[in-house]
Amino acid sequence: MNRGLNLIKTLITITISLVIGIITIVLTSSEPLTAIDAFFRGPFSNSYFFGNMLASSIPLILTGLAASVAFSASNFNLGLEGQVYFSALVGTYLAVNLSSLPAFLLIIIVLAVSSLAGGLLAALSGYLKAKWNVNELISSLLVSYTIIYVTDFFVEGPFKDPMAGFSASPYFSNDLMLSKILPPSQLHTGIFIAVGIVIFMYFVCKKSNLGFEIYITGRNKHFSKYAGISIGKIMVISMMISGILAGLAGMIDVFGIHGRVIRGFSAGYGWNGIAVALIARSNPILVIPAALFFAFLESGANVGSLLSDITPEVARIIQSVVFYLVTAEGLLAFIKSRKKVKTDD
Amino acid sequence: MIEDFIHTTITMMTPILLAAIGGLYTDLSGMLNIGLEGMMLISAFISVYVTSITQNILLGILAGIGISVFLGFVMGYLSLKLRANVFVAGLATNLFAAGITVFLSDNLCGSKGTVFFQDAPKLSVIEIPIIDKIPFFGRIFSGYNALTYLSIILLIVSFYLIFRTPYGYHLRAVGKNEKTAHSVGISIFRHRMIAFLVSGLFAGLGGAALSLPLQTFVGGMTNGRGWIALVAVVLSQGNPIGLFISSFVFGAASAFSNTLQALTALSPKLLLTLPFVITLVAMIIYSVRRNKSYER
Repeated sequence: MNRGLNLIKTLITITISLVIGIITIVLTSSEPLTAIDAFFRGPFSNSYFFGNMLASSIPLILTGLAASVAFSASNFNLGLEGQVYFSALVGTYLAVNLSSLPAFLLIIIVLAVSSLAGGLLAALSGYLKAKWNVNELISSLLVSYTIIYVTDFFVEGPFKDPMAGFSASPYFSNDLMLSKILPPSQLHTGIFIAVGIVIFMYFVCKKSNLGFEIYITGRNKHFSKYAGISIGKIMVISMMISGILAGLAGMIDVFGIHGRVIRGFSAGYGWNGIAVALIARSNPILVIPAALFFAFLESGANVGSLLSDITPEVARIIQSVVFYLVTAEGLLAFIKSRKKVKTDD
Repeated sequence: MIEDFIHTTITMMTPILLAAIGGLYTDLSGMLNIGLEGMMLISAFISVYVTSITQNILLGILAGIGISVFLGFVMGYLSLKLRANVFVAGLATNLFAAGITVFLSDNLCGSKGTVFFQDAPKLSVIEIPIIDKIPFFGRIFSGYNALTYLSIILLIVSFYLIFRTPYGYHLRAVGKNEKTAHSVGISIFRHRMIAFLVSGLFAGLGGAALSLPLQTFVGGMTNGRGWIALVAVVLSQGNPIGLFISSFVFGAASAFSNTLQALTALSPKLLLTLPFVITLVAMIIYSVRRNKSYER
């Protein structure tokens, strides 16, 4: 019904947050005009920055989708961070150790097994909730904290490349890497895979029985129970899909850019994915522009820090303001009531 | 040996217990405050930073509390007035805190990693006269910093407030049944808002208890303690004694992890998972038992 209103609200949110970003830049930079110019136009100024911006949107599209699926069933998957990271570890391990297999087959196996690893991590929280009503928000987060340490342990120890100067696994064969678009930027063909997954998930969510059951369960548990839907099953499945998508985010990033797991490479993918899902209101298609917006903020701040004196952390300020505002369901009503008061005066 | 372990446990418990007392108020008012982590984090930075520039610990702690109470206000306003989902508002708090602390430490102190405030006055250890001379018990009951003693005092004060005063009675009524509470004229908004502010106050103390004894701030230094405190709140079922016990257990998990790191060659990274695993297991056991009691 109020799709238009939602759009207006989102635009207000984005405008306010950008204004706060500008204020932050003005306060912290000695050459604010250069910095603001670099921030807003930088990502579009050449194909290198532009390609990098698109590349950084790829994992966000997938984690945004992951968070959306869980939200649709009114579950909170706060374990995305760990799921992304751990899946990348599992996938890279397979890619390094099964190198005798043909490349195409190996890529399929790696994607399947690594995303399943993420899926199982998330499904555990869904199962605990379905079986004993363990709060999935807390359990997924605790599992994530644990698994991040475990993954760190492997990347720093048993699975560390002794030649690397920092904590990173060995590289897998270059044949497995996704091909680049717009070199020398980091953009890779993973973007087509991500968009394909978005379209697939759109059909799953909006057109399939499963999507309908997830939607109904998310809206009204009692109703779906009477409709004969197994709520427990939906909980586990929706968390599992969410974890699988998070796993794909990690492994596609590795296949596209890094070629190995680097300690902490995915930090922030999960939390930003949640923000992306909120901006997109859990609509799979809208996840793409929302992820692009977040990627723009990151690249704008990065370019700004290269060409002037701001820190790339400016992006984090703007992102958290977006997060705050997007949570406020009553924001529009609030602004309206303010206007009303003013016109009444 | 045992007394040293208990001593470490109580030291490790302090930030968790303080944040958990804060979480208890919001929990009793019927809201789950998942922003504790962010409130602690921002106070951890601000308190040690302000302590360093003013050379005054009390001012530092007050500044830390001030900022986390403000975050509590924002969370309350978003969820109570602007109808934001309280979980999402809590996540926003955590992300905001994680972002702004890194931003500030980068801009003000020139480092995104570990910042050591050499010149900040240290939160010193207080020995309680006479008690500190008793063997065994002296080690358990004495030799902590002021915030640890304060956490125990505030726990007792909170117990009194919640169970012995009209305020506590009203607060619990709002949490148990908001319609009934509303119908007898108790303001739901006011009680929930106060609960958010109080939880900001305690989480702020918890954050200060983390950074001040070390004179150090590290990005993300709360490292899940706010969440562990939240689990302590859930497990306590609204009972301050339960809150103390669960915080103590989680403190012991951290102390155990630390002790093993010092005494054994086991991987520190794997040992760091212990507090989270123990918290998760405690949460599961609690849920299983609660479900069984429903079935009966």
